[in-house]
Amino acid sequence: MTIRKWIERIEGEASVQFEFEKNHVSFATIAFPHSRGMEAILQSKPAMDALVITPRVCGICGHSHLFAAVRAIESVYANCGAPVEISQKAESIRELTLTLELIQNHLKWLYLVIYPELSHLLQEKIADSCRLKGAYAASLATKILAIFAGQWPHSSYMIPGGVTCDPTHVDSIRAEGLLDELIRWFEKELIGITLDEYSHFSSDKAFLTVTGDMEKIEKMLKKAKMHEQGFSYDRYLAMGEHAFSKSSKWVNRRMAKVHSKFVTLEEPYSIGEKTYAKNALYQHNSFETGPLARAMIKGVPFIKQMYRQYQDSTYTRVMARSYEAALLLEHCKKLLHSINLEEPSYIKPLKKITALSGEGIGIVEAPRGSLIHSVILKNGIIDHYRLITPTQWNLSCGSPKTPGPAQKAMIGADSIETATFTFRSFDVCSVCTTH
Amino acid sequence: MSDRVEAVKKLFTSKSSRVETNKGDTYYQDLFVKCEARLNEMRAQAPANRLDFSDLLEDNGIDRREFMKWASATTAMLMLPPMFTPLIADAVVMMNRAPVIWLELQDCAGNSEALLRADGPKIDEIVLDIISLEYHETLQAASGHQAEKQMEEAMELFKGKYILFVEGSIPMGMNGQYGTIGASGETFHDHLLRCAENAAAVVAVGSCATFGGIPAASPNPTGAVGVMDVVKNKPLINIPACPANPANMVGVILHYVLTGQVPELDSLLRPKFAFGYRIHDNCERRAHFDAGEYVEEWGDAGAQNNFCLYKMGCKGPMTFNNCSIVRYNEGVNWPIGVGRGCIGCSEPDFWDKYAYERPMADAKIKAPTGGVEKSVDEFGLGLLTATAIGIGIHAAASAVAGKKSGECEGESK
Repeated sequence: MTIRKWIERIEGEASVQFEFEKNHVSFATIAFPHSRGMEAILQSKPAMDALVITPRVCGICGHSHLFAAVRAIESVYANCGAPVEISQKAESIRELTLTLELIQNHLKWLYLVIYPELSHLLQEKIADSCRLKGAYAASLATKILAIFAGQWPHSSYMIPGGVTCDPTHVDSIRAEGLLDELIRWFEKELIGITLDEYSHFSSDKAFLTVTGDMEKIEKMLKKAKMHEQGFSYDRYLAMGEHAFSKSSKWVNRRMAKVHSKFVTLEEPYSIGEKTYAKNALYQHNSFETGPLARAMIKGVPFIKQMYRQYQDSTYTRVMARSYEAALLLEHCKKLLHSINLEEPSYIKPLKKITALSGEGIGIVEAPRGSLIHSVILKNGIIDHYRLITPTQWNLSCGSPKTPGPAQKAMIGADSIETATFTFRSFDVCSVCTTH
Repeated sequence: MSDRVEAVKKLFTSKSSRVETNKGDTYYQDLFVKCEARLNEMRAQAPANRLDFSDLLEDNGIDRREFMKWASATTAMLMLPPMFTPLIADAVVMMNRAPVIWLELQDCAGNSEALLRADGPKIDEIVLDIISLEYHETLQAASGHQAEKQMEEAMELFKGKYILFVEGSIPMGMNGQYGTIGASGETFHDHLLRCAENAAAVVAVGSCATFGGIPAASPNPTGAVGVMDVVKNKPLINIPACPANPANMVGVILHYVLTGQVPELDSLLRPKFAFGYRIHDNCERRAHFDAGEYVEEWGDAGAQNNFCLYKMGCKGPMTFNNCSIVRYNEGVNWPIGVGRGCIGCSEPDFWDKYAYERPMADAKIKAPTGGVEKSVDEFGLGLLTATAIGIGIHAAASAVAGKKSGECEGESK
């Protein structure tokens, strides 16, 4: 029996076709039947245009695209023998705004997807206003972001050599005030204990002290038996270099270095269904990327402990992402305090961009995982641009012999509803997947 | 030079670019009576959802006084005289009687994100909460077949009454195969036409839906077009910008609830209350432009002192939008506030014509002075003349307006 289902909400939609055998999902294919041709649009345009076009790939993680684009162009500078110098201030502001984008993504996903879906799955009613609560918290994060980036979504304030903003003390005080408000919200609504306590959990026993929505969500996850299903490859990849994340892969419980030259794109598996997404593979293997991968590679004690008990189940995946929001809030606080406003925002690169010819690659950790932009410039004009988005790793569509991470996680589910929930634990962002 | 002056005069006096802020006493009296009648009619209707506006205000700790302040600001934004303030306040309560169906086509969902209160002043957010969003592919609680059914039902139930909001462009290339939707694989084009058929009005939100936006940028790989290129014979409102400002979305719905009509539009079908003025007219860095103080390169002394970004490619002087007043993310900031010029994202073909780091003189824009200029400084000169004439016209207009508002002073007090 084959059943086709539309997965919608948040960022575009995907079509998943399930095959059933003995009341269990035996295989599933994922298709994304829409595309805008972003890479073709970027071709033949001046390099700096990438800073305006690529954020518009996605309405929810556009800032990550901006960061990746600016890193890609800066890497062309470096490969041309004119490495770009960036002040610590500009570096910190870039990382701060990226972190805020991650936080708002995680909170929106938790309150607009995970919580309502769980309530739907278990037929347990939750308050209507719940959905709006997450959106409110997310808007606090984007407000802080806007202080430095001008607006959210779709900002282009990062440029090769730094950032265009020149924040004053007033700006930084405003940002601190908003961040405090966000942290207070997080403590009061989501966890019921202090952020400091929560972010220093070393065992899952400590979770017993958590109240608030997080307690409810955790209980619902267990009740829906999410700790017993949704297992994927147990192979993790995080390629972006940040203070909050380490670039590495984790296979067979061992860490190893990664290099972008091993990343390949392959045609998706499809049986007569149209799809515009290409599969991203590392050394021709499927890898899971995103918050769980980052936690495994960074060695976050609370998540590692959880992993020992429940492996890479849907439960662990959801918990890892919501826990990452807490760690990132702490990180934000530190970053905001560390910014020295006296430093320059921008240091002029040694070469003119119109004199640049060469290749470059920019990798960042976006909300859903590793995002790669690679570019070839000829005299400052884009000759070739390639985007590899996190969902191309997680939601790749392989054959029954080589299913992608989300496909593999759905196999064995006893109903379409639970399989769909597992699918959502990777988070659909179809506008990124096909771009 | 005299040709230029003529061209500029033409630009500023053409009917579509004139913003009439005062239409006279009789007009507003008639409108007031009409609006009152409409609101009474709506009051009799059953609300489409359970959310109660006054409860939500209370939940969010907003008192009546603060709300009335918002209502009078919104009245001003919609270019209505102060006597309309109580009507606006009433109309807001009735927002859950205006069924809205929201479609997402070839897009990045950035406008939905904006609607999700990524920005917009606090009361606007609550208003957005209570708007009866019957179908939104991104935000809805239902999904899959259930959602499709929900939408069919909403379209049937509110036949001829719902406002259709469309986000995203329509790919026409390859027979529309670059974008399909639902289990039947319906193309975005067919889907849009079907949903628009029984809509009271269609609102295109964001630059993709209005003019094709980034997907339509050269070489337009998917043949993307805007809603107005395919939907005919329907009242159509364009709210461009990337992302569109939620304040403007609320304004359009509010105007519709209040008057039952679409707001006054310019030649590109944009509501004049939001797109009647140029970014440049109200820019916080305008004084530096007038003084000839420019940022010459990133990070220079000009940049540190918030000088005008015109020479860095700012398109503010050519772009009609209210972001210099409304700003983004609950009024926190806007691109020019962080030293990045305007990219003209609310103008047609903004990408190909207005690309951001190219000064206007190097861009393929037909300048108001009648052609593409040779250098920035030369162009600046032409523009300065334009501005001067612009100010002249405005001054004349406000003199007339002042007289008129003097006549109806009685009501406004």
